[in-house]
Amino acid sequence: MSVILREEVIQRLGEIGKADILVGIPSFNNADSIGHVVRAVQAGVAKYFPDKKAILINSDGGSGDGTREVVERVIIDDFQPLLISQRQNLLSKIVTPYHGIAGKGSAFRTVFQIAKELNVKACAVVDSDLRSITPEWIDLLIRPVLERDFDFVAPYYLRHKYDGTITNSIVYPVTRALYGRRIRQPIGGDFGFSGKLAEFYLTKDVWDTDVARFGIDIWMTTTAVTNNFKVCQSFLGAKIHSPKEPSSDLSAMLTQVVSALFNLMEEYPGQWTEVNSTSPVPLFGFQFSVGLEPVKVNTERMINMFKLGMTELGDLWKDILSAESLAGLQDTAKTEPFSFGDDLWARVIYDYALAWHGKVMKGEHILKTLTPLYLGKVASLVIEMADTTAGKVEQRIEALCIAFEKSKPYLIDKWE
Amino acid sequence: MGRVFVEQFKEFLGKIAGFLPNLLTSLVLFFAGLLIAWLIKSVIVRLAAFLKMDAVSERTGIVQVLQKGGIKEPVSMLAGRLIYWVVLISFIIMGLNALQMPAVENLFGTFLLYLPNVIMAGAIIVSGYLLGNFLGRAVLIGAVNAGLAVAGLLGKFVKFTVFIMAVTMSLELLGIGKETVIIAFAILFGGVVLSLSIAFGLGGKDAAKDYIDKILREKKEEDDIKHI
Repeated sequence: MSVILREEVIQRLGEIGKADILVGIPSFNNADSIGHVVRAVQAGVAKYFPDKKAILINSDGGSGDGTREVVERVIIDDFQPLLISQRQNLLSKIVTPYHGIAGKGSAFRTVFQIAKELNVKACAVVDSDLRSITPEWIDLLIRPVLERDFDFVAPYYLRHKYDGTITNSIVYPVTRALYGRRIRQPIGGDFGFSGKLAEFYLTKDVWDTDVARFGIDIWMTTTAVTNNFKVCQSFLGAKIHSPKEPSSDLSAMLTQVVSALFNLMEEYPGQWTEVNSTSPVPLFGFQFSVGLEPVKVNTERMINMFKLGMTELGDLWKDILSAESLAGLQDTAKTEPFSFGDDLWARVIYDYALAWHGKVMKGEHILKTLTPLYLGKVASLVIEMADTTAGKVEQRIEALCIAFEKSKPYLIDKWE
Repeated sequence: MGRVFVEQFKEFLGKIAGFLPNLLTSLVLFFAGLLIAWLIKSVIVRLAAFLKMDAVSERTGIVQVLQKGGIKEPVSMLAGRLIYWVVLISFIIMGLNALQMPAVENLFGTFLLYLPNVIMAGAIIVSGYLLGNFLGRAVLIGAVNAGLAVAGLLGKFVKFTVFIMAVTMSLELLGIGKETVIIAFAILFGGVVLSLSIAFGLGGKDAAKDYIDKILREKKEEDDIKHI
């Protein structure tokens, strides 16, 4: 048994013996939302896997608001209103604080460890602040593993055209160009995976790094792809969270995501430098789209931030960006209406990857200078997509991805 | 008369004869110092090349800092040169001591007592320069990301304040115009802050009003975009 599990958990696992399905929910002070997630998991298991032995793990970061008590207390007594026949096996629950540094990654590590101890066939992890989770999510994340032998199921959400801009403009195009698989939401946060993959994750010595904190999502996706596990996607519909703190800092968020992406490039140079084409990833689930509510976007402020960066950060960008990229940015600042080209953006991101690789200055400083450029690119995309439909938006993102793929030889040339 | 002259001359020759071995020792030490310093410098330069010191210095930003200070030579060569002079000066001091001349001994005694202060002062100035650059850069980036139009000014203010503080500390350590330097710094620093406050409060009150209005307006117009 591993040292990361508490004595009472080990004892409980001994009583349970083995399980077919495991659903993990990481949490920290989510008492107001986790009850809904637990009910959705319970209904999902009862409805779609009535004959399977299932276990729910709440891996908690030391909540002080009664999150753990909510998980222990919440139960669906009557399945009849949900049109679900009484299941044969009851869902077991383990509520445990996780071991290690505070973060979602450490919470997942505990989930992986329990999956290994119980020798489970399929696992899913879902966020504890989800408002839009339904029982179908459990089916969509688990069934491809149980019945189609997939090892990793990435989520595919229905999102507003302006949402997920870091994913759309950086994470998806870069991950796709580097590793050759078109996983649309590599940092979605809700995943399905096989017991075999959970065990593989545990063999990696990353639990004292940023992976244990915020980098776990992109790490799980990239590790699955680069180690040739069978990957697919499931269409889950809309992803709606509980509202976050209003003060969440864009620059810090961008730094965290991009540093995780760049660190993985350092880990797998042998794989991504060899990839020169991309392939689609199977997508399960019934796809649909809904009307888009208007979203408030202040592009003028974003463009002003970009121009402020051009005025003040030029000296630092000389150490990060190539002369061509810098000249391109100067031309971009003069465009009317404002337009930030895809080829230039791809070069800029690759220049940042190279600057990170070459350690031209403190890593945090490198990535924090990216914020004005990112806002410039987002403003450009918003202006361009103002009157487009969801389908056209996907075509636009596709064009951006192709620009990243075209510029990849530049990255490979400069990497060494 | 002639005997007195001969006695004096003999005494002089005796002193010369007594001094010659010291002079010879001193010269030997000087030339040995030249040779040993050159040898150690060669070893240091080769060792630095083996350890890829120039590449590491470039990555850690030391090269950029030196270049900004007008030093274009590779770090390995600088390290070799520094060691060369430290070794050579040590031998020169030993050589001069070997002369056993009281005036020279006193001069070097004083110099040796003062030397640690000079080294410390140099280290403080170099550290202050590096720290000023680092903090100035952090403030500049943070201010740009916060959308502050005065980001450049803030960055430079932090950078130069840290550097001037380091210079002040160094001068105090060297005992140069102790109180004067501290008082001058306090007056200068306080004066700058007061001037800025008055300028912003009186001369630039309209600009300040516009700026605060702009911040409040932008707060109201925050985006609903979800970046992740």
